[in-house]
Amino acid sequence: MTLPSTPSPGLRPNSPAVVAELKMPAHVDVIVVGAGHNGLIAGAYLARAGRKVLVLEARDFPGGQLSGPRDGASFDAPALYPAALVRSEVVRELELDRFGWQAPTAPGPYVTALPDGGVLHLASSATDAATLESIRRLSSRDAARWPEFVAFMDRAAAFLDAAYATGMPRLPAVDWRAEGLPLAALGWKLRRLGRRDMFRVIRSLPMTAVEFTEEWFEAGPLKAALGALAVHGLTLGSMSAGGGYNFVHQWLLRGGLGHRTGAGPQALGDALVRAVQAHEGEVRTGAAVAQILVERQRAVGVRLVNGEEIRARTVVSAADPRRTLLGLVGAPELPPEFVWHTRSIRMRGSVAKVHVLTDGHHGLPAGTTVVAPTLQYLERAYDAAKYGEVSTNPYLEATTHGVVVSIHFQFAPYALRHEDWTSARATVERRAVETLATHFPKFAASIREVRSITPPDLEQQWGLTEGDLNHGQLILDQVFFMRPLPGWSSHATPIAGLYLCGSGVHGGGGISGHPGRNAARAILRHER
Amino acid sequence: MASYTFDAIVIGAGHNGLIAACYLARAGRKVVVLERRDIVGGAAVTEEIFPGYRFSEFSYVVSLLRPEIIRDLELPRHGLKILPLPSTVTPLDNGDYLAGWDDHDLTRREIYRHSPLDAEAYDEYSRVMARAAKAIKPIIGLVPPDPSSLGWRDLKGLLKLGRFGASLSETELYRISKLVTQSSADLLEEWFELDALKGTKAASGIIGTFLGPRSPGTAYVLLHHYMGEIDGAFRAWGFAKNGTGGVTAAIASSARALGVEIRTGAAVDKVVVKGGRAAGVALANGDEYEAKVVLSAADPKRSFLQFVDPQHFPDEFVEALRNFRVRGSSGKVNIALSELPQFTCLPGEGPLHRGAVSISPSIDYVERAYDDAKYGQFSRQPYMDIIFPSMIDRDMAPPGHHVMSCFVQYAPYDIEGGWDDAKREAFGETVIATIEKYAPNIRRAIVGKQVITPKDIERIAGITGGNIFHGELLLHQLFFLRPAPQWADFRTPLPGYYFGAAGAHPGGGVMGAAGKMAAEEVLQDWRK
Amino acid sequence: MPEPSTVHHPLYQLKRTPFHARTSQLCLPHNWRRWGGCIAAGSYDLGLDREYWAIRNHAALIDVSPLMKYEIEGPDAARLLDKVIPRNVQKLAVGQVYYTAWCDDDGKMLDDGTVTRLDEQRYRLTAAEPQLRWLALNAVGFDVRVRELTEQVAALSLQGPKSRPILNRCCGTPVDDLRYFRMAPNTIDGRPVTISRTGYTGDLGYEIWMDAADALPIWDSLLRDGHDHGITPCGILAMDMARVEAGLFMLDVDYTAAHHAWIGGQKSSPYEMGLGWTVALDKPGYFVGRRALEREQREGSTYRFVGIEVDWESLERAYASVGLPPQIPGMAVRGSLPIYRAGRQVGYASTSTWSPLLKKYIALAHVERPHFEPGTNVTIEITVEHRRRQATARVVALPFYEPEWKKK
Repeated sequence: MTLPSTPSPGLRPNSPAVVAELKMPAHVDVIVVGAGHNGLIAGAYLARAGRKVLVLEARDFPGGQLSGPRDGASFDAPALYPAALVRSEVVRELELDRFGWQAPTAPGPYVTALPDGGVLHLASSATDAATLESIRRLSSRDAARWPEFVAFMDRAAAFLDAAYATGMPRLPAVDWRAEGLPLAALGWKLRRLGRRDMFRVIRSLPMTAVEFTEEWFEAGPLKAALGALAVHGLTLGSMSAGGGYNFVHQWLLRGGLGHRTGAGPQALGDALVRAVQAHEGEVRTGAAVAQILVERQRAVGVRLVNGEEIRARTVVSAADPRRTLLGLVGAPELPPEFVWHTRSIRMRGSVAKVHVLTDGHHGLPAGTTVVAPTLQYLERAYDAAKYGEVSTNPYLEATTHGVVVSIHFQFAPYALRHEDWTSARATVERRAVETLATHFPKFAASIREVRSITPPDLEQQWGLTEGDLNHGQLILDQVFFMRPLPGWSSHATPIAGLYLCGSGVHGGGGISGHPGRNAARAILRHER
Repeated sequence: MASYTFDAIVIGAGHNGLIAACYLARAGRKVVVLERRDIVGGAAVTEEIFPGYRFSEFSYVVSLLRPEIIRDLELPRHGLKILPLPSTVTPLDNGDYLAGWDDHDLTRREIYRHSPLDAEAYDEYSRVMARAAKAIKPIIGLVPPDPSSLGWRDLKGLLKLGRFGASLSETELYRISKLVTQSSADLLEEWFELDALKGTKAASGIIGTFLGPRSPGTAYVLLHHYMGEIDGAFRAWGFAKNGTGGVTAAIASSARALGVEIRTGAAVDKVVVKGGRAAGVALANGDEYEAKVVLSAADPKRSFLQFVDPQHFPDEFVEALRNFRVRGSSGKVNIALSELPQFTCLPGEGPLHRGAVSISPSIDYVERAYDDAKYGQFSRQPYMDIIFPSMIDRDMAPPGHHVMSCFVQYAPYDIEGGWDDAKREAFGETVIATIEKYAPNIRRAIVGKQVITPKDIERIAGITGGNIFHGELLLHQLFFLRPAPQWADFRTPLPGYYFGAAGAHPGGGVMGAAGKMAAEEVLQDWRK
Repeated sequence: MPEPSTVHHPLYQLKRTPFHARTSQLCLPHNWRRWGGCIAAGSYDLGLDREYWAIRNHAALIDVSPLMKYEIEGPDAARLLDKVIPRNVQKLAVGQVYYTAWCDDDGKMLDDGTVTRLDEQRYRLTAAEPQLRWLALNAVGFDVRVRELTEQVAALSLQGPKSRPILNRCCGTPVDDLRYFRMAPNTIDGRPVTISRTGYTGDLGYEIWMDAADALPIWDSLLRDGHDHGITPCGILAMDMARVEAGLFMLDVDYTAAHHAWIGGQKSSPYEMGLGWTVALDKPGYFVGRRALEREQREGSTYRFVGIEVDWESLERAYASVGLPPQIPGMAVRGSLPIYRAGRQVGYASTSTWSPLLKKYIALAHVERPHFEPGTNVTIEITVEHRRRQATARVVALPFYEPEWKKK
């Protein structure tokens, strides 16, 4: 299932229509809104297929979530994501290695502090002796199950990867040849996992973090450390259904539990820009789109904030679905019930980032450090978010980047009920630092400077509606053919010629590149 | 020690067991139903707890009972009368109320006075839910196929399922796929703005479930409650003449007329296995019954982990049943009254007393009730569904006096420290205190009160975990996963042993579908 | 012991219109009907004849307050309406009234009603069914305010050839200059009203819109000043006969609102209902249902809403064959009657009535292509003495009746 490297049949150079088109003044075939990784990937694929692509980015630099804030503050915070593990198909097909990208390969450990002062050290490997020993200290039964668990997770993640690579048709009107067959092939892949794993996968997805981890393990700290991954990035608790799905999703994105280290996410952004440019595409920064121009329910181009209008036959938006449809297109151009459903997409960000500049003696172990002592702790942290409050005892995931410690903080809900974000920022910073310091006592003394990114920051600087990093919560009713909305999972929108390619569509959430790749393929198929 | 021989033995004289027996007897088989208690009915019993006051002790409303069963078994001829339960009134904390009457115009007027938009949304919501219930109805009567099997029966089932999917319109598909995966809070927040309306509707999504309304998957439970049908009208709820015991009494009468033997005080100890087949049962008193098949209508835990030695089942099956979630979450308080409670929101005897009173002022209220329960306490401010059976059927209480049935959630089976008399008393007191806020005369009206905790449900009705659905309606415990993967077709890994109760597809409520389908599968196997 | 309530709680009742104090006194047969959650008088007389003939000969006064009324106001009011309805709202002048259908995005009708431009930025929409939610869903992204005025605004319909002289006597300003489907402010009994030359009878007629608090004095004034012209309070049953003659259909009787339909086949498009003229495909921009309506306009409709005239002799013969004179229902019948051509069902009549004026049995019907052309001979199923019969009938163009003075 790779893309044809020759231009698609629609662009036969000898066809009269194309000749006429080529005579027109310098024009753009495709405008991509947003130069985040998915926008760049969609742009690169389309450029590679011979389209004249223009990628427009509101910020002064490309990368989207692959970049940090870059606001000239005293120290540069790293990218929103600690690591980027874009799918290997994308690397291969876009020849990203040619453009300087080296996929991170070294899996980092996943570490959680134990009440006795020790740590639970988890490598995402079935055989890592240190991991098995670390688990055995808690439960020998769990240690015995670990290899089977890791093997299952790898298989489950591989299946999810295949599902993400398969376009989700607009049900029930399925184009059987183009969409139905790949879907059937996906079903067959599921079946080929074997009966036991097939049912395990199906059963795991809707489970709560508690149910999911309890089916495998008995040791509290182990269950909690794993349960944390099941709620990571979501506004859900360890007792909310659907945690199993997110666990597999996170395992896939990270290639295990801990983040992989290597080239930073920024390097991926750079490589993708070069890939677009290599195929005659243009990436223009500081070009914020104010409106997607629509005539008779057809996208015809965009208008920038500075008033400039650029026309194109196809517009692809990497912005989130709500922002794209309600913000850039505007509700008046859309069917009322579609507007209603789009407004109902759950964004609901509740992740804050706290970056701490230290003197280097922070005492944190290498790799990914998680603060989630018990499954109940995770649930209580989420309880606060339900009622519009910042968690008193937050779930944290910390990664180190030299002297900078980056803390992923949950839960800090976008919509606060009792205070606003001007005062809550300090609360988040304080609780992040204090909580981490309880587990790693040296940390407190090492702090030089703290800066944070709150959900409103994510909305204002990264354009993420309600600060949702995933462009829409990864909850059971917003994944697969229901992402972004049931009936609209094929990247198309009610506006002809307008497509979605961001994290808000199938495969999205995090850095995989599936949405961008799938969108490009869907567009090329539609246009054929 | 006596021994008897039959074609089929049915374990448990609850409604499913009796219905299964009826269908087997209709096919000319010699059937015995063995009931542990001295009365028939299982969880659908009416008992005179206080002299003159009769209670539907556990299950208290009917609507889900399949109409074809009523017809096939001629239940009306055997005394079944279903009386209307026309309305739901939710008292509000500001002294007002929100009612749903049994008349469209009255309901619209009522909601309109609180929110004009919700009045219209409610109309449409009701239509959409009724259509979704109708659309999904074929699934209820479908023997779940095993998606991992390539057997002709399963392939035929999958084909049926595929055809069902293809028959749905895009809007139906949208709704159903959302309903199966969403949280009831998310569903309702899409539609409504009124807290009390959302709270009351959301409550249907948590009944019998150990999840809060904000957890994904609860919308399905809500839909499950929409599948009630009386005389062809969707979503009608009713109260059986003589209480829910009246339903099982009618089924038992029909069973006897068909030649079924019903033996009470006959507690099954073990299923007797001979030559790798179920060959009969042994009672606790030593009596033995021989039969070609044994059909259990007990809960899955008893049926598979208690009655049968695990050695007769594959390990995977036993593991699946051990992991099957049966956490009871609800209690019941049955109260004998010398006078009707006077609700301050609607004083006097009125339509409120002829329907249900719901204590569910908001989603947050219900969610907070859940918060208590998930950390091992009963809700300090519980959700309640209250009815006054004596207002519907005057024979339930002495003249001028009344009985009141309060379904209460949450009361966790695994309460911290375990249930004891003091906790039961405190739970009952919480319920009374909660009602007292809305109906101040409640205390002086109480003649007697019976408090039933999940532990009591387990003890009296014999349902492990005290879960009213014999197992939670969780997404990973539905359809072809209920009660275990590969064994959702009412058969079990032990030949000659069948399973047909709420723990099987399509789940709980006084529905009878599981009993009927299990009997049909037995007959089908016999025909071979 | 609580006392059983002897009267129903005021909120546990159907609504009453602002004219209830008068209409309830007059309603001799107590044949109350439901309309929009209100009780409405079916007729005031024991029979319908006097009220029907008042519509056609004099002037009938009908309480139409249960109609749903919305006010849409703001800089984007016209843009919102242009999204909701298929007519071109940019062309609607102040004081002008549009009759229009509106659709869901599949181009299937949700409701029909009128849009009146009250002011530069203020419109009134009337509808048969509640539309606040639909307006609110459409209003996202527009700078408008939508208010429901159903209960605040009372409405009377004065229909019949004498309605103009009555209003001229009763109103502060004569209505002679008020043209068909126009609206103008006026006063009655010194109280402000707006009067539109609209109605649901196909006769000369006006609808009077007023503050609910002014309802009773205005009713009294009209009855007093109209006495000499034969003004007659009229219930909704006589109006039902008149509207069939006028070829006007009714929601959920003659077509099913797309939101109410259980299956696709129950839905109707404006083209099918003969409202193709309200679909302004030449207007710019998106409106709800545009794509589907463009397609239907291109490909043609399967059904059309037409009139059916039943052949009287055929009806007579059918009854005579069992020894009976023809039996005619005394009011419009809202039951479906199958329509056949050459032995195959090609449609159904949704409302049928005896027309006392035309002396014909007539029906409103949905007929399949190509049988909907006027002049096509069909048969319609009737039940004679418990047995099914076919009466011959003919497809005719609507309306059945349109007096020359209706638009003059």
